[in-house]
Amino acid sequence: MDTDPLHARYPFFEAARGAVAEAEVALPELVAAGAPAVERGRERVERALMEGTVESETPEEYDARAELLSYPVARILVSLLDSAAAVEKYAVAEAATAAERFAADAQRGDDGLRSTATVAVDRDRILAEFDLADRVRAEPVSGNREPEWFRVGVGAYLSLSSPDWGESWRLVNRELAAGEVRVEREELYRLLRAAVRERVLEGLPFELESAGQLATELESQVADLKRLLSERPHVGPIDVVVPELFPPCMTNLIDKAERGVELSPPESFALMAFLTGIGLDVDEVVAFCADTSLDAEEVRYQTEYLRDDRGTQYPPPTCETLSAYGICHNEEEHWRVAADPLAYYETKLEAADDVTGWRERTAAEPSEG
Amino acid sequence: MDDRTREYLRGRFRDYYRSVSPSPPPDAHEREWGHIPWTTGTGTTMVRHQSMLDLGDLGAFFAETAPRHAYFSAARYDDPGASTMGGKGWRSADLVFDLDADHLPGVDPTETTYAEMLAACKDALGRLLEFLEDDFAFEDMEVVFSGGRGYHVHVRDPEVLELDSDARREVVDYVRAIDLDTENLVHTVSADGTTRRVLRSEGGWGKRVHEALVDYAEELRGMDDDAAMEKLQELDGIGEGRATTILGAFRQNPEALEQGNLEAGGPGVRRLAEALTARVTATETAPIDEPVTTDTRRLIRLPGTLHGGSALRVTRIDREDLADFDPLVDAVPERFEGREIAVECDEEREVVLGGDTFMVEPGRNTLPEYAGLFLMARGDARKVPES
Repeated sequence: MDTDPLHARYPFFEAARGAVAEAEVALPELVAAGAPAVERGRERVERALMEGTVESETPEEYDARAELLSYPVARILVSLLDSAAAVEKYAVAEAATAAERFAADAQRGDDGLRSTATVAVDRDRILAEFDLADRVRAEPVSGNREPEWFRVGVGAYLSLSSPDWGESWRLVNRELAAGEVRVEREELYRLLRAAVRERVLEGLPFELESAGQLATELESQVADLKRLLSERPHVGPIDVVVPELFPPCMTNLIDKAERGVELSPPESFALMAFLTGIGLDVDEVVAFCADTSLDAEEVRYQTEYLRDDRGTQYPPPTCETLSAYGICHNEEEHWRVAADPLAYYETKLEAADDVTGWRERTAAEPSEG
Repeated sequence: MDDRTREYLRGRFRDYYRSVSPSPPPDAHEREWGHIPWTTGTGTTMVRHQSMLDLGDLGAFFAETAPRHAYFSAARYDDPGASTMGGKGWRSADLVFDLDADHLPGVDPTETTYAEMLAACKDALGRLLEFLEDDFAFEDMEVVFSGGRGYHVHVRDPEVLELDSDARREVVDYVRAIDLDTENLVHTVSADGTTRRVLRSEGGWGKRVHEALVDYAEELRGMDDDAAMEKLQELDGIGEGRATTILGAFRQNPEALEQGNLEAGGPGVRRLAEALTARVTATETAPIDEPVTTDTRRLIRLPGTLHGGSALRVTRIDREDLADFDPLVDAVPERFEGREIAVECDEEREVVLGGDTFMVEPGRNTLPEYAGLFLMARGDARKVPES
C-alpha cells in the first residue's frame, strides 16, 4: 500500500491514525526484519532528546513508509525508556518539528507554489485537525496578504496556552472581546504547537511488558537511548550564578551568541539545559540571553520544558555527549575537573571563595528609564 | 443556639421543603451533594460525598432531612458518591463566581447594614456580568442570590467545563485586573515609516482604558477652556503646558483618540492614559472570591434551598429580572409570610426585610415570621415559648 506523504509528514493526524495502527500491528515483524523504520524511529527519539527536533539528519535514506512507521516505533521506544521527562521532551520535539513544517507549508502556500500542494497542508486543514476550525478566525486583511492577527475562542486559548509562557500570555494582558482573544500569527503557531504536544502525549507512555517480545527485539535501541540519559555525577541544587566559573564549552557558546552568531539547535539546547540546570528560572534565562543572537521567545519556550518543576527533568548533556556533537572540545582540558558542565561548575564554585553572582550584579545596576 | 429555637427553625425549614422542592441542577446525577444538618452544639458537621443515588428522590430527601444548609458540587464526576476526591473521577466543572460582601473593598461589615452590603454586592455583580457577557461572551449562565451576603454566577458553556484550576485563575485575574501589565496596554505601531504609540483597544483592559479616555475627552470638549484646563491639571504630572497641548489635540483631532492613537497630545496624553488606567482598574473590577472559582471540586449552595444563617431562599434570578431584584424582598420565602411570631432579643436593632422596617427592642417582640426566623437564624433572637 502506498503511503500518503502527508501522513509521513504529520503522523499524529487523525487521518494517519489508521496507517499508524496498521503499523503497530506489523511492528514485531518490522523490528525482527530490521526495517529502516526502526533505525529511523531510534533516530527520532535520539534527536528529540538531544536536539529538540525529530527531523532526520539523512532524510534521503528514508521513504514515506519508513518515515510514517518510525512514528509508532519512536512512541514505543520512548515508552520503554521509562522516564516521564523523556516522554515530555519527545512530545515537545515532535511538536516543534510539526510547527516548523506547518510554518513552511503555510509559507509555501503563500508563495503560490501549489505544485507541492499534495504534501503541504494549509492553516484551515491544521485548525480543523485540532477541532479549532470554529474557534479560530483570521482578522480580515486587504489584498492577498497573510493575516497578521487572529481571534481565538477564549476556552481554546486558555486550554492551549499557559500563564508560564510569560506576561504577554496572561489573559489579563490580552485583548479579549466577545469571547475571543486576539493573537498574532506567530502566537497562533505557538498554540498549535501546544496542541500537537498534547496530541502526541495522548496514550504515552504505552504499558509495555519490559520482558515482552517487542521490548526484547528493541533492547539494543533502548540501551543506546538510555545511555544518552544515563547516570552522571550527582549535582546538588546550585543557586549561585557566576559566569566566570562556567565550563569553557559553555562560555564558548555564550561568547558565540553574544557576538551575534546563530547557535545551532544542539548548541542552544546544551546552553539552555546548562543554565536551567544551575537554577535559573525562565525569566532569568531570558534576561541572561537578552543581548545575544538567541530569540527571547525561543529561549522561553525551550527553558520552560527544561525546568525542573516536574521533578524528573532530564539533566543537560555531558561533555562527552557534547563532544560527539562538536560542541565541547575539552577546552583548557576542563574534563580533568569534570567532564560534565554541571559537575564542573559545582566543583569550581566550591573551590571559589567570595563570589558575586550575576543576580546581585544585575540587581545592583540602575534600571533604565 | 438554644434547643427550642433550633427545633423551631428545623420544623419551619421542613414545612418549607414540604411545600417547595428545589429543582436539581443539570447533570444532577454526576454531582456530589452535601448538607449541614441542624445539629446541637456549636460545631457544624458537613455530610458530603453523597450522590443522587444516596439521596433518593430530591423532594422527599429535603422534606425529610430539612437541612440547615444544602450544597451540590460545581464538578461532575464518574462516581460522585466515592468517599475520596481521588476516587470520584473528575469529568468537568461549572465555572463558578462568588461575590461576597465580606470581600468588597471599602465595605466594613461592622459598620455597614445588611441592606447596604447587599446593594454594594449587587453593583459588583453588575460589573462581573459585564465581563462575563461582553468580554467572555458566555451564554449559559445562572445568577443566584446566595441567601447570605452575596451572589453566585454558575457558567456552564461547554468550552469552560474542562478548564483546569490554572486556567480558571487566569479568568479571575482578568476580572480583577491582577498582574495587569499597564505598560503593555500601549504598543508601538509602525506604518509608512513612522511609529506611533497606540492603545490596545480591541478588547480587554486596553479597551476599557480607551473607553474611559474617549469619555474623558468628550467631557473636556463639553467644558469651557478654563474648566477643562483645571480638570486636566488635577492629575499628577500634568501642568499648564501639557494641559494646553492635550486640550488642543482633543479639540482639533478627536479621531486620533478614537483610534487609540496616543501621539497626538504629546506626553501629557500618555500621562492621562496612565491616570485613567489606575482609575479604571480600581473601579471596574469585580472582587470575586478567588478560591471559589479556582477550586474545581467545590460545593456550592443549591438554588431553591434555604440558607441556615438567614432563613432566606437561595434564589435563582432570571437575567431580565436582575435589575429589579431585591434580595430583601424577593428571597423571603412565601411560606414564612402572613403569620406573626414572638421572639426574644438581647439588643435593640433595626431589621429591613420583606419591604418593611422593623424596630426590635430588647425583650419580647412580635414580628412577621420571616423576620423572626431571619433573626433567629442569625443568632440574634431566641424563640419564645408558645403560651
